[in-house]
Amino acid sequence: MSLVRLPTPLRPYAEGQREVEVKGTTVADALGNLAQKYPGLSRHLYDEGGHLRPYVNVFLNEDDVRTLQGEATPIADEDRLVIVPSIAGGTSGRQDAQPLRPVDHAALRVNQALIISLLGAAFIAASTTLVAFVGLVMAIGTLFDHPGFLPLYRLLRGRGPFRPDVVRDNPEPHRFAQGLGAVVLIGSVMSAATGLGTISWALVWIVIALAALNLFGGFCVGCAIYYWLNRLGAPGFQQSPPPGAIPGRRPPSAV
Amino acid sequence: MTVILPSSLMRQIQENGERQYPEEGAGLILGNIDEGARRVSGLIHRANSFEPESRGRRYAIDPKQMLEAEQEAESRGMDIVGIFHSHPDHPARPSEFDLAWAMPWYSYIITSVSNGKAGESRSWRLSDDRSSFVEEQLVEVHFGSAEEER
Repeated sequence: MSLVRLPTPLRPYAEGQREVEVKGTTVADALGNLAQKYPGLSRHLYDEGGHLRPYVNVFLNEDDVRTLQGEATPIADEDRLVIVPSIAGGTSGRQDAQPLRPVDHAALRVNQALIISLLGAAFIAASTTLVAFVGLVMAIGTLFDHPGFLPLYRLLRGRGPFRPDVVRDNPEPHRFAQGLGAVVLIGSVMSAATGLGTISWALVWIVIALAALNLFGGFCVGCAIYYWLNRLGAPGFQQSPPPGAIPGRRPPSAV
Repeated sequence: MTVILPSSLMRQIQENGERQYPEEGAGLILGNIDEGARRVSGLIHRANSFEPESRGRRYAIDPKQMLEAEQEAESRGMDIVGIFHSHPDHPARPSEFDLAWAMPWYSYIITSVSNGKAGESRSWRLSDDRSSFVEEQLVEVHFGSAEEER
């Protein structure tokens, strides 16, 4: 059994208790059991899609679990989980700017590395099918609002060099950058289908070059375009660059 | 529930909104629950951690600061009973964004600040089904109270 400490606003949903003992081998497990034990808590912890609400932060002993292995972080019996709310608010509608949220840059880098290597392999093997696969993974990731190869990163997270690198950042520009890559790859596949082989491979190399610039040079061109559109006031591009960050570069502060 | 707020603390909340204008000001409200009413006995002012471009329409207090504040409140024998924030040139009513980010149970005291001058302050609480805010009675009291500020 591990201890979960609740913030004052959630205590009324758990019979007024400050700390609750729950079973579980991972953070997700423990929180799931907590919500099952006190169903009234569930609505305030999880959104309609079953994801933790953006204002719910979980600390394992002293560390934000997002800097560990997220909800998959294993917990031991003597561990203490602390739920801490993020506080935010303001005058205008929810379509407007959101606060900075934790973004795992290690997940982004694994995504870029896979895009580069798979597209490189596709070029060597002259396989348009592989290009289409990478484009599809990126497009699906963009639709579901995460890096396309995130499931693979989740398997690797916390092992060897794959330590989470969580930064308070805007996820939207990264999503936009990936979407842009997916669109270019779809263009490449369509060019190949209409017999424009050279253009098709040129587009593949543009995506490889931009992903490599991001992975090795730490500069996200898609993000810079997003922030440029934000400056121009383009609708749908409401996030401004994090304080102290050069648009397209990694924000300075860790979580 | 009724929120009982000493007038000296009400003045601090209003001054905070005026000082931060045209940006949003925010902080935490400390107090105790006493016979069904919330008796406010202190405030913790916190920097707005939102990106500078958006601070006129947004406030945020980061979780690390929140954790420290909870521990501080506890060591002083109090609880964080709510959050105060200002709405520059907007009414003292919660927005859609406030609703999306609201925690249950907390009292949200919103102060309207127009042209740098604090107007009315109103207190709100999230309904249990998260669908709306319900206004609560905000009572200003004029007698002395243990007030602390940081």
